[in-house]
Amino acid sequence: MKKLIVILLLAVTGYFLVDSFMDLGRTGPVVETGVKDFYLDKTVSELKVANTITSIVVNFRGFDTLGEVTVLFLAATALGGILYKRRHHVGERSVLFPSSPIVRAGSKLLFPAIVLLGVYVFIHGHLSPGGGFQGGTIIATGFLLMLLAYDNFSVSHNVLSFIESFAGIFFVLFGFAGMWAGGTFLENFLPVGTMNNLFSGGIIPIVYILVGFKVAAELTGLIYTVLHEKES
Amino acid sequence: MVGSPVLLIAIPLLAAFMIPLLGMIWKELVRIIPGLVLAFMMISSASMLMYVTNNGTIIQTLAGWEAPWGINLVFSPLTAFLATLMTFMGFIVWLYSYRFKRNVDFEPAKKYFIFLMMLVAGAVGIVITGDIFNQFVFIEITGISAYALTAFYTGRNSAEASFKYLLMGALSSSALLIAIAIIYSQLGTLNMADIASKIHLMPAGYKVTALIFFMMGIGIEAEIFPLNGWAPDAYTEAPGPIGAAFAGIVVKAGVYAMVRMVFTLFDVSGAMDILLTIGLITLIVAETAAIRQEKLKRMLAYSSIGQMGLVFVAFGIGTLEGVYAALFLMLNHAIIKPLLFLSGSQLVFNSKEKLIKEVNGLGKYMPFTAVLFALGSFAIVGLPPFAGFWSKLSVLTAAANEGMLLIIALILIVSVIEIVYYFRVVNRIYFFDKAEDLIPQKPRVNAVIAMSVLGAIILIIGFNPDVVSTVLHNASADLMDTPQYIKNVLSAGQSLTN
Amino acid sequence: MENQMFEILRYGIYGGSISLILIGLYAALTKRSLIKIVIGLSIVDGGIHLLLIAIGYVKNGTAPIFSPGFENAVDRMVDPVPQALVLTAIVIGFAVTAVALSLVIRLYRHHHTLEIDEIKNLKW
Repeated sequence: MKKLIVILLLAVTGYFLVDSFMDLGRTGPVVETGVKDFYLDKTVSELKVANTITSIVVNFRGFDTLGEVTVLFLAATALGGILYKRRHHVGERSVLFPSSPIVRAGSKLLFPAIVLLGVYVFIHGHLSPGGGFQGGTIIATGFLLMLLAYDNFSVSHNVLSFIESFAGIFFVLFGFAGMWAGGTFLENFLPVGTMNNLFSGGIIPIVYILVGFKVAAELTGLIYTVLHEKES
Repeated sequence: MVGSPVLLIAIPLLAAFMIPLLGMIWKELVRIIPGLVLAFMMISSASMLMYVTNNGTIIQTLAGWEAPWGINLVFSPLTAFLATLMTFMGFIVWLYSYRFKRNVDFEPAKKYFIFLMMLVAGAVGIVITGDIFNQFVFIEITGISAYALTAFYTGRNSAEASFKYLLMGALSSSALLIAIAIIYSQLGTLNMADIASKIHLMPAGYKVTALIFFMMGIGIEAEIFPLNGWAPDAYTEAPGPIGAAFAGIVVKAGVYAMVRMVFTLFDVSGAMDILLTIGLITLIVAETAAIRQEKLKRMLAYSSIGQMGLVFVAFGIGTLEGVYAALFLMLNHAIIKPLLFLSGSQLVFNSKEKLIKEVNGLGKYMPFTAVLFALGSFAIVGLPPFAGFWSKLSVLTAAANEGMLLIIALILIVSVIEIVYYFRVVNRIYFFDKAEDLIPQKPRVNAVIAMSVLGAIILIIGFNPDVVSTVLHNASADLMDTPQYIKNVLSAGQSLTN
Repeated sequence: MENQMFEILRYGIYGGSISLILIGLYAALTKRSLIKIVIGLSIVDGGIHLLLIAIGYVKNGTAPIFSPGFENAVDRMVDPVPQALVLTAIVIGFAVTAVALSLVIRLYRHHHTLEIDEIKNLKW
């Protein structure tokens, strides 16, 4: 009975979704000139950033990104709060299994390469596909690999917390610096340089590097917290 | 004017990132800093409210790009009024819980205050932003803080309540994203004013679909009928002050987002009737459920849902008077319901089950708290010398001017139900004998201050409702005037309209 | 021929993402295991992200990145805004999933089960 109602509900939802989106490719939107043309234009002419998505994420809609890293920060905090136990045995792992020497040696070999790739991805976020979120995630996968391969591998929670907080604080402070120098919050107040250079785009690469650090620290912290969750 | 709208968001974010570091220096800072931040937000938005009343709307662009392209914050009479109300309630809730949480460990206390601050900041963000996707981000900030706060006590069944809330919240935020996708695919813009100026180009079918997905997305915070299953559990299992914060802050933000959508963004004919119908159903279902409750906080939660239904009925009347009445109701509800939650959670502080019958005879042992609870009860059902009377009266006049007699009758019947279940509790407090084993809780000094401030406001508005009428009139005129809103936002940059 | 391919692609992408949304909703609403519900929510999120990406597509599109050699390809570039939105939405979806899973862990700690029917308060 319940399934029938759900299927009926899904049918209605599905009908409206198909109705709303299926004609899109054939007739096109009712308004032809959206905000995207402006973005594509200004990214080249004013911001000198090659990757339009980066310029939107960090500059045009930078406030969203600030909110987004806050959501991630809150999720990391919430995870710690929800799983909090009064007598917490730090250092004990819930997943304890011996991994083979091949896996251990291989992880040790791969770990620096993964971290390097992550750093590359977020430093070049304004030039090529990638950016802070992507790079940060790649770095966190490196830590995940190490945590799975070595049962005594540990990261300092205080260090993660420091990186997390400082990256967030500097993001907001860059916003205030924009307010002080240019008049609006998060304004790009540094010289933009020439396009397709590593040092170009004003504050955009700097903010994205901060985001990269923050995301890497937060995801590693999340994995670490859940992995040390002891069954009771 | 102190500060600017963006500081209302940026300062709490900065503080949230700093609190983990400051906590390492001196543990008391994690309690003090959020209070200072909330006080700053309160003072700043109140002073900006005064500025806005005299000089007109403040539009703040972000990242140096004008309205349709960048994100902008709109501080109009309506949003200023709501932001002031929310930050004030946030400060009161902080004041109430300042010493209350002292018996809790350091780590949970730190998280409690971070989440409380972000709950207020997210709700303020929902109200002052001028961009639908940015609003989605703020809804998620509020949502995650609310889930975490609901699951705060590990001893109770709070994880269930929180999971329920999260499940509904996640589904409705998906609906919100779909609505944003429909709007963006057709109009190519995300700015509210820009959407409002172009919505007439959109085919009617898409418009209705988008509006319904929007309502599903925001209805969860606004506690409208099919989406409010989370509310009674979350209010019951969350710490007492957080119930007050939900009723006074989160719900108000949800209602604002909903009415902004219906009044400004969409020009769907019949949207008002949808609001009216949803409001009536919510009102009747919730009030009939409230009378059957045995737990005090559950009763208050259902009553809160019912009040939101009444607010939607008032908005659904669709006239300036109706909007005025709805905003007046929101103001009163935002002050009275937190008072009921705060004093109510003091009354049942030491009981395990938090049942209504456990408040028996506490009037003699906790005189001050009991008086405040009684005051709140009288005010919310709308007895004459208190604040709730004037708002209910204005709803009835607004309905009468439109000739909606059936609605008047229904509101009066529901008021009788409200009187029954609130008076039942007050009756138990004063005229029953106390259970032997229950130890009355002596409220702490800060809790007493917080509750008496709310009580004083109820009395002030009750005896002199004119103190708020100017602000409310400006706010309701602001909500009704869509062309002015579009002009305010888009005047700086040129519109993209072809 | 090219047009036909485009049509098929369009139906494939829109139809696929909408079916993902519906499958996820079905899982979230009918499954009795907490983990499966969370998986359902993630599938819904995935479907919506695909849908958002798809609405930005233009014929013969290329990535909106002005690398050397692509400076003049503005007309062919796909809409960058949905991609930026999806980046934000993915992170938010991830955060919500993380919180949901932590709640599941805590429920499991209390009740030693993941079945929704055996957890009293979750019935409604």
